[in-house]
Amino acid sequence: MQRRNFLKISALSGAVAALQSCGSPEQQLIRFIPDEDLVPGIATWKPSVCTLCSAGCGTLVRVMEGDAEVVRNGRAGLIKMGLAKKLEGNPEHPVNRGKLCARGHAALQVLYHPDRLANPLKRRGPRGSADFQVVSWEDALAELTSHLSELPSPGNVRPSDSRGGRRAVETGPVPIAFLTRPLRGQRRELIERFLKALGAPPSVSYEPLDEAVLRRANLLSFGSAALPTLDLARADYLISFGADLLGTWNSPVAQSIGYGEMRQGRPGRRGKFVQVESRMSQTGANADEWIPCHPGREGVLALGMAHVILREKLRPRELRSRAAALIAGWSESLPDYVPESVAKQTGVSAETITRLAHEIAAAASSAVVIAGAPLAQTNGMFNALAVNALQALLESGRAEAPILSFTPQPPIGATVPASAATQASFSALNSLAQAILNEQPHAPKVLFLYDANPVFGAPASLQFREALAKVPYIVSFGSFIDETSAFADLILPDHAPLESWVDDVAESGTTQSVVSLAPPAVHPLHNTRAMPDVLLEVAQRLGGPVAAALPWNSYDAMLRAAYVPLRRLSSSTATQSEGDFWTKITNQGGWWSTPTTPRAEAVSAAPAHTPAKLAEPEFDGPAPEFPFYFAPFPSQSFRDGSLAHLPWLQEMPDVITTAMWSSWMEINPKTAGQLHIAVGDLVEITSQHGSVRAPAILSPGIAPDVVAMPIGQGHEKFSRYASGRGANPLSILAPLTERETGALAWAATRVKLARVGGAEQGKLIVFAGGMSRFPAEEERR
Amino acid sequence: MEKTAEQIRGDLLRPLFRSGAGYWLAVGVTGSMVLAGVFAFSYQVYHGLGVWGLNWPVFWAFDITNFVFWIGISHAGTLISAILRLANAGWRRPVTRCAEAITVFALFIGAIIPICHLGRPWLFYWLVPYPSERHIWPNFRSPLLWDFFAILTYLTGSTIFLFLPIIPDAAAARDLASGWRQKLYGLLSLGWQGNPRQWHRLESAMHIMAIAIIPVAVSVHTIVSWDFAMTPVPMWHSTIFGPYFVCGAIFSGVAALILAMAFLRKFLHLEEYLEPIHFDHLGKLLLTMSLLWFYFTFAERLTTWYGNDVSEMNVFWSSIRQNFAPLFWTMITCNLIIPFPLLAIKRFRTITGTVIASSTIVAGMWIERFLIIVPPLEHKFLPYSWGSYRPTWVEITLMVAGFGMMGLLYLLFSKLVPMISMWELEAGVRK
Amino acid sequence: MSHKWAMVIDLDRCTGCEACVVACHAENNIGTAGPDQAARGRAKHWIRVERYWEGEFPNARLRFQPVLCQQCDDAPCEPVCPTFASYHTPEGLNAQVYNRCIGTRFCANACPYTVRFLNFFNPQWEKPLHLQLNPDVSVRSVGIMEKCTFCVQRIRAAEIQAESEKRDLKDGEFNPACVQSCAPKAMVFGDLNDPNSEVSRLARSNRSTKLLAELGTKPNVNYLQRDSWQDGKNG
Ligand SMILES: Nc1nc2c(c(=O)[nH]1)N[C@H]1C(S)=C(S)[C@@H](COP(=O)(O)OP(=O)(O)OC[C@H]3O[C@@H](n4cnc5c(=O)[nH]c(N)nc54)[C@H](O)[C@@H]3O)O[C@H]1N2
Ligand code: SF4
Ligand code: SF4
Ligand code: SF4
Ligand code: SF4
Ligand code: SF4
Repeated sequence: MQRRNFLKISALSGAVAALQSCGSPEQQLIRFIPDEDLVPGIATWKPSVCTLCSAGCGTLVRVMEGDAEVVRNGRAGLIKMGLAKKLEGNPEHPVNRGKLCARGHAALQVLYHPDRLANPLKRRGPRGSADFQVVSWEDALAELTSHLSELPSPGNVRPSDSRGGRRAVETGPVPIAFLTRPLRGQRRELIERFLKALGAPPSVSYEPLDEAVLRRANLLSFGSAALPTLDLARADYLISFGADLLGTWNSPVAQSIGYGEMRQGRPGRRGKFVQVESRMSQTGANADEWIPCHPGREGVLALGMAHVILREKLRPRELRSRAAALIAGWSESLPDYVPESVAKQTGVSAETITRLAHEIAAAASSAVVIAGAPLAQTNGMFNALAVNALQALLESGRAEAPILSFTPQPPIGATVPASAATQASFSALNSLAQAILNEQPHAPKVLFLYDANPVFGAPASLQFREALAKVPYIVSFGSFIDETSAFADLILPDHAPLESWVDDVAESGTTQSVVSLAPPAVHPLHNTRAMPDVLLEVAQRLGGPVAAALPWNSYDAMLRAAYVPLRRLSSSTATQSEGDFWTKITNQGGWWSTPTTPRAEAVSAAPAHTPAKLAEPEFDGPAPEFPFYFAPFPSQSFRDGSLAHLPWLQEMPDVITTAMWSSWMEINPKTAGQLHIAVGDLVEITSQHGSVRAPAILSPGIAPDVVAMPIGQGHEKFSRYASGRGANPLSILAPLTERETGALAWAATRVKLARVGGAEQGKLIVFAGGMSRFPAEEERR
Repeated sequence: MEKTAEQIRGDLLRPLFRSGAGYWLAVGVTGSMVLAGVFAFSYQVYHGLGVWGLNWPVFWAFDITNFVFWIGISHAGTLISAILRLANAGWRRPVTRCAEAITVFALFIGAIIPICHLGRPWLFYWLVPYPSERHIWPNFRSPLLWDFFAILTYLTGSTIFLFLPIIPDAAAARDLASGWRQKLYGLLSLGWQGNPRQWHRLESAMHIMAIAIIPVAVSVHTIVSWDFAMTPVPMWHSTIFGPYFVCGAIFSGVAALILAMAFLRKFLHLEEYLEPIHFDHLGKLLLTMSLLWFYFTFAERLTTWYGNDVSEMNVFWSSIRQNFAPLFWTMITCNLIIPFPLLAIKRFRTITGTVIASSTIVAGMWIERFLIIVPPLEHKFLPYSWGSYRPTWVEITLMVAGFGMMGLLYLLFSKLVPMISMWELEAGVRK
Repeated sequence: MSHKWAMVIDLDRCTGCEACVVACHAENNIGTAGPDQAARGRAKHWIRVERYWEGEFPNARLRFQPVLCQQCDDAPCEPVCPTFASYHTPEGLNAQVYNRCIGTRFCANACPYTVRFLNFFNPQWEKPLHLQLNPDVSVRSVGIMEKCTFCVQRIRAAEIQAESEKRDLKDGEFNPACVQSCAPKAMVFGDLNDPNSEVSRLARSNRSTKLLAELGTKPNVNYLQRDSWQDGKNG
């Protein structure tokens, strides 16, 4: 009982309960001697790297002395230690230049999350029950090592055999699978080396909203498999086809910084921003012109504009001719895409198409970009290639550097090339699941999980949950129990990023090459170990070629070996000692090259792709029975759902609907009227593959034939804050894929709607109690 | 009324010394209501104000409704009694004491509420100007401080005003009583002998008090209205609030008085003292107040509507047409539509008629306060911040406890002091 | 030199990203209400991004408007406070002295911008979330009103630092947490007494307006209204 409460009671009863005044016993924890030099009350700012999305922003961590309950050498106790108090962007970092997005700020709560796993865990209950018991690191690592060494396959050298050389080589890879979120930098390199040394196939990275389509299209059009960098600060005109570039896509902080400058950073010169999408996103809400387009027709719309530009010769012939050569009919000025016929397909008027084409062609510097739902269609590649071709056309004949470019990559050797990212993670996951379910010989006997949660993030129709049950041994490095790691046999919890050496290689958001790199900002709170260090230790225990392939005794040694060679790239650092260089880059939060002006590379080699013809999108579910296009979208708070466990983000009102702690569905007020759905009513959305329920929000920013729902909620097991909250729209998606890449076409499902309850059942939680319209100025006199 | 002084004393002192089962039942019921309130308040203090239904942006609701309501009720007594005394209206004699008692008790309840409603009630004394170790006086610019002084002055004044005429009656009771009662009445009678000098002093003291209390009473409810009118909240920020509140206060106060009189008449068997004529007179007063109240209500709304300020109109429509419309029209029904015929038509202005009218008015005036407070807070200037309010059991219990407290105090008081001023009545008989 | 702290919010830059919202929570020890209390209107967001729809599909537009305490020169929340918990500092800030507040909520009613929040319960930080708490900002207990302070702890720290170094504060030397976090630079903070500060310069813009200016509260937050793109005139 707190003293305050105690006082309250005694004041109330008027009786002083003398006995109770002894209160609760003092904490029985021992006090450790601090091992850091900290001045109480004085903050130090330490660099780190945000790992919450693939933008790779650099952060500064405000560290101050405080009392923490920690575990040291297996004993719990109290210690004065440096504690992370706040995150801010690293002002020196070329990607985010001192800024963070809302999610980045909340990364602190990953460190301090009450449900973070504090110890290694071994499964006790049945698979998936999340019933675990605490084990020691020694036991956990011994168990893992013995499982790995028992795998009867090549590359595996038992300690007993190591003296006598390799054993007989069997055919096929070692049955190990390593499932991660998309990783870059040395974490990825370490995993790949580990797998390669074991003779296992490369890791499979999975995230629900992967970028395989865009990467492949960019590789074809521009010769780079990366996501583009948009230098919006210099842009006069931007058309975004579905890209949530100010919210969740690509490098949102970098893009937002540029956007601010594009709008008001150049006196007398304000850029125009046009957004094409069928459901108004946070990004779309900022557009000067918001253009709803029928789902899957964005490529046609882009080519309609290209048609106008070509026909009226508004721009000279394209510089990046390959992008244009990928579109059938380009050299004949796209006869199939006259504005009138495009208008019919897209729902955007011919007048608008023509006007936009004129406006953007006239702008001194401009860009078009595509991402999100238009790529998550069965014809996603067509849409992407079309927009890329339009971009190439807009760039031609410019003296200025292009707005859209690709970040130069630092010269760091990699076991697996970056272009491997053009493989769709959905198809990779699908073949993994199929291999397990069909008990194919190379199906993994050991599955590693690192920050990937496909049980939540893949459509239920993929049956990943069922597949997991058939894997003999599953090891997770996760810090939390989630839907996927609940199936693990062994959990070896990673440090929080702020407790770890972190590194990342930014692929976009800047025109400089950037390696984000930082040492731990704080000492670990719990009995956890950094995943890379665990892998290194396992490699040592396995010995033989595995140990030889991973010769470092700690991850920072590996980082140092990888990044110190960057010293020679610049004349200013070439003369520094290795130690000085290392100190410098770890103190400033990474290494970055001197700024360069981006150039539009003329990729002239003939494309390995036949010119794309007009491709119609396909949708799952017959239109009469399932009349609505289903538009899941990454939540502003949780992205793909991996951040739903952070209370700050749960309580952050969605900026459009003001919803907190909820799922919701957005529906046009006219449609709602026809279906007798009012704000907050519980609505069931049914596809051919399942149904979810969520309260309705009526939004004028959505087409009448579209229903939208944020991805991110609907976790069964993911900490106290996210579990059992809302619904997961991914679960009802059809397993339709983009035709060329096999990427999940997550915007290609059709659904029907039914009101199944009132606001009492809907339980929508919103921050703004009031109406969503402001009385117009004239009404206010 | 052809009673002798002895009869009067007998009739009026009898209830002091004899209580039936009904009385104790009533004490039990009202006492339980008060205890429920004590429990609810303790629960609130233990857990925090969050156990109420308040939220962002409705930071006041039942609490301040009850506060304004009880301060309003308090205008029944002292003000009416003082005016009638100064006007020397003979029919006032049996009425004044029940009226003045209402004032004191209602003020007492009203004064407790702002303490209970604090986020940190245990620090209520920071509202009190005293030379504290913090060297900070309360902020005299705050209408809450004005409230503090106004209510304290009114409470002191009306307690004296109630007490003065009790002195001779207490002396009479002292002479009849024995045991602890004799001591109590001895104390209350302040050594009253009934000699001419004492009579003279009493009369002049009462005269002074009657004059002094009227501006105090008017100021109290004006100041209460300023809790609202001084803030830039749509439909609070209004110059009409001072007189509107005073009018509403007298209106609800007279209604409460009629109810109290009817109650005393029945339970203390004072049929021969509280006669239909009294109810008729008070009924006329009530009718006047009803019309005056409606005039203010109409004037307030008309100005708003004609002015057509967007923010005010949001509140206006919410109370007239939207979510608060049922309450609004109930209020109009309770305060005008039902009372008007009952009070205007002489045939209906009976005891029953005035009691029915008073009951609806008391309810209607509670709603009026609620509608003054809550709809504007739900609709402040920025529509994003609009909200809605629903009370919890804690607030409802506290409201019920307020009524219980009134009943209980009244019941206990009626056991200690004759509910009709005996000597004034006798003086009336003598005339 | 005395300061007059002010802010400019450029609505043409604000993207509604809400980085400011989370940054403020992190900086100022704002308790998380949780789903049940949030459903009852007890969420506390010292800064919020208001959104207003205009028009109907397909011509719908959305307007964002971050709203925080406007640090009014004539603050209606101040005179009503009986304990001087809401009071005007010599630098013109509207300070909230937590330990003086007894929770009358009068100030919250009086504030036309509805930016004041009551601690309806004692705030909870489920361990070890409490380790994040900023030691420079007091934690408010039940019954206390709280609101945006313009990150007064940062203002004071910078002023003291400058004083100890016997120099004037530089424009942009420090920023409140929300301003610091704002990627499109929609928010700018600074000293109006310095005519050359960025905030002074922007406050003189012809797009500069005050929220609910008609109420005469004299806010120190200026809103630059959304601009529009005109064909031919730009780029
Ligand atoms: N308001 C107020 N201020 C006061 C006083 C007062 O009465 N009231 N008293 C004054 C007096 S008399 C004194 S002596 C000072 C005391 O002032 P400080 O010395 O600042 O006080 P402490 O908080 O007791 O301890 C200092 C730090 O040492 C850490 N510590 C504990 N054990 C160890 C250890 O074994 N090794 C190391 N390295 N650190 C350890 C503690 O965790 C704590 O952070 O305060 C003075 N200031
Ligand atoms: S964009 Fe946000 S979440 Fe992604 S790395 Fe940057 S700060 Fe972190
Ligand atoms: S951080 Fe800046 S851009 Fe983002 S919502 Fe806040 S004010 Fe707007
Ligand atoms: S915005 Fe509200 S809280 Fe802030 S100073 Fe003005 S009136 Fe006070
Ligand atoms: S709630 Fe606190 S700050 Fe506000 S008026 Fe009351 S005492 Fe003052
Ligand atoms: S100035 Fe500070 S306290 Fe105010 S909203 Fe911004 S971050 Fe919050």
